[in-house]
Amino acid sequence: MEIIVFLIPLALILGAFFVGCFIWMTKKGQYDDLETPGHRMLLDEHNKVINNNTHKGEL
Amino acid sequence: MSACIHCDQEVIHAHYHSEDGRECGPFCCQGCLTVFNVINFKGLSEYYEIKKNVELFKKRAPVELRSNHYSYLDDVDFLNEYAHKNLHNELTMEFYLEGIHCAACLWIIEKLPTFVNGVSASKLNMGRSVATVSISNLGKFSDVARELDNIGYRPHPLKVNQSTKDLKIKEERSMLLKIGIAGAAAGNIMLYAVSLYAGAGPEYEELFNAMTVLFALPVLTYCSYPFYRTSYLALKNKTLSIDIPIAMSLIMGGVMGIYNMINHVPENYFDSLTALVFLLLLSRYFLKTIQEKGLSTTDLHFFYQGESVLKVDPNDFSKNQEIHPKFIKEQDYLRILPNQIIPADAVVVSGESYLNNSLLTGESGLQKIKANDHVFSGTMNVSGELIIKVEKASSETRLGKILKNVENGWGQKAQIIDITNLISKYFVAAVFTLSFILYFWTLRHHGQKEALELALTLLIVTCPCALAIATPLTFIRTLSKSAQKGIIIKDDAVVEKLSKAKYIYIDKTGTITQNQLVVDQMNIYHQTQVTLEAVIYNLEKHSLHPVAMCLKECVKISNPEVMNVEDAKEISGVGVSGIINGHFYEIKNYGIYEDHKLMADFHIQDALRTDAKASLDALRLQGLKIQILSGDKKENVQAIALELGLNENEYQAELSPEKKSQIIKSTPQSIMVGDGANDAIALASADTGIAVFGAMDISLRAADVYMNYPGLSNVAELMTISKETMKVIRRNLVLSLCYNSISVLLAYTGHISPLTAAIVMPVSSLTVLISTLIGTKTLRGLWK
Repeated sequence: MEIIVFLIPLALILGAFFVGCFIWMTKKGQYDDLETPGHRMLLDEHNKVINNNTHKGEL
Repeated sequence: MSACIHCDQEVIHAHYHSEDGRECGPFCCQGCLTVFNVINFKGLSEYYEIKKNVELFKKRAPVELRSNHYSYLDDVDFLNEYAHKNLHNELTMEFYLEGIHCAACLWIIEKLPTFVNGVSASKLNMGRSVATVSISNLGKFSDVARELDNIGYRPHPLKVNQSTKDLKIKEERSMLLKIGIAGAAAGNIMLYAVSLYAGAGPEYEELFNAMTVLFALPVLTYCSYPFYRTSYLALKNKTLSIDIPIAMSLIMGGVMGIYNMINHVPENYFDSLTALVFLLLLSRYFLKTIQEKGLSTTDLHFFYQGESVLKVDPNDFSKNQEIHPKFIKEQDYLRILPNQIIPADAVVVSGESYLNNSLLTGESGLQKIKANDHVFSGTMNVSGELIIKVEKASSETRLGKILKNVENGWGQKAQIIDITNLISKYFVAAVFTLSFILYFWTLRHHGQKEALELALTLLIVTCPCALAIATPLTFIRTLSKSAQKGIIIKDDAVVEKLSKAKYIYIDKTGTITQNQLVVDQMNIYHQTQVTLEAVIYNLEKHSLHPVAMCLKECVKISNPEVMNVEDAKEISGVGVSGIINGHFYEIKNYGIYEDHKLMADFHIQDALRTDAKASLDALRLQGLKIQILSGDKKENVQAIALELGLNENEYQAELSPEKKSQIIKSTPQSIMVGDGANDAIALASADTGIAVFGAMDISLRAADVYMNYPGLSNVAELMTISKETMKVIRRNLVLSLCYNSISVLLAYTGHISPLTAAIVMPVSSLTVLISTLIGTKTLRGLWK
């Protein structure tokens, strides 16, 4: 059961790491808007959008 | 039926866009078609590709075609007040956008920098429909706003109070941090607590126990701070709050756990307590987020400032300058266009028109105005163009004063002691008495140590957590489900107040009636030579009289033929006449004449809403006493009452806004349903104010509930919802009190231990959770 001497600190370090991440993310404002970024990441960048006024949509 | 490409609404009269011999469409209106063209011209047609792939979650209204110049956005005064500098030292302004509904909107709004000159960044928050736009030195906010308007998102600049906004964000983040830390600690404690319950060997016992104490410390101090704070505030104000017994349990649990650890007894209640702190914080956080999504007065603030107005040069009326209504000053000359709300108390300099006073007085008739007449802020110019000279601006106007009253009355609403806090009063007393009895009883039979331990344990395990979690959860469910149905409830106290209401006051105009004159009867005695529709349409073509307007509206559906009218005349106060195809036609005294012979007559009325009678009956069935309060003339109200089958004492007419408020204030447990500025005070003075759709934005600031649908039909449903919700809450209350009685029983028989607490406490929370989710049969039916 000596393994516990190793496991407990390991659990503590892991836990502290994730709690630390959570605190950092909250302070950075990643939880301020939970709706928009989810949609934003789904939109692909297409170069065709920029500039050409001749581009007409076909529907 | 097909759907409009731009707004996805059903198309009734299809508009098509044709180009190179191909047709694109259908569109529901010219507005949507124009927006479609603008978007395509800018090379942004990918918008429609994206839109195809998203599931709609908000229905979008068709685009209204309006031309605003927004030049006031570039005024230095305006910028000083509304714009701020971002991190890159660029001017930044926030806009509330109408019509934000899906990812395609997000895409196109954030593409602003690619198609508007001078925009350096644009970010949209979809939940709030607020775009934050930054511009470089070259850019102008007027360009941005015009472009946004062109692509169908009407922008309203928001006045951002940076310090309150920062404070709000800080508060929200600290709440999240507390939840996160409590959750992490509760989970980790569980690891060690389970090992202890499972019988960890004596060599580990003390180590594991010390670990639980280590994890519990931040939860019992940092995360539980809100409970201590509200308890302290409640005690200071000599009131009671459900947080007091919770804080007591937490403190007792902490003291006992540490005391046990020092005395090498591996026993504490930290596993149950931390889990409960986590759940409590979580449920409160959700309740708060849902409430903030609903009516937030700060967000609504910008609305009533309204549209921009045209200021004209006093010497040359053809010179216009667009200004924000906030900057209207006395002695300014303003140009008022048809269908514009008059922004200040003023005197008419030139022009003739009809005014709709219903927003201010509740009168359904239109008032004719000409030069030198006085007009009041908040009334609507119906037909002609006017030049007015401002006498009183903003808060000095009659409307401004009404609004001020609303704001002052805002905080004075009687706060009810909600049901959980009421219970907690008896609860605290009962728990303390029981603990004392237990202490002295054990003291006599056993020792001092056992007595103290048992009494403390009782205080800990009777923590009313199930109660404290269940109530917010029930309200969260009701508030969010109602919001999905288009009923936005301001906060949980409103639900409780609604369930107790006995009287309901209803405004007439716009609530029971449609606030729109319609031809409700047309008797045709003889056929005319040309169709009757064509006669009406061509004679009334140029008339701005309200009767003419609604006649035109009535015949528009049949697409009347345009004909030549000779000798067309409009005699003010009498009617119109003219010669078509050699016959002399007249429209006067609600009749249509051909060669002086009466061919048809018609009747005009502010029509009842179709759902009015059924809704009133439903409300009566709920046991509410109904009374209609109206500012309209007695005969109009009487006619409506007769049609609805109301008694003499169920309506009152010719009331001023102030008088209405008095009547309502003198009746406790009353609900007021209404819309329009004349109802603002009434809505604020009632126990619960319900603003129905179409309400002036001002009413929203005074109301507790906002309905997304016109008319009364949802009010009865709301009453059912509130009553059923309170039923669920009462059931949860009984359930959690049962569990607490079990805990007390166990404590008295000496069977209480951390292990039993670890079983009983989560089970009780789980039971109320399930009870909340199940709701009642009626609620389940409504939520479907």
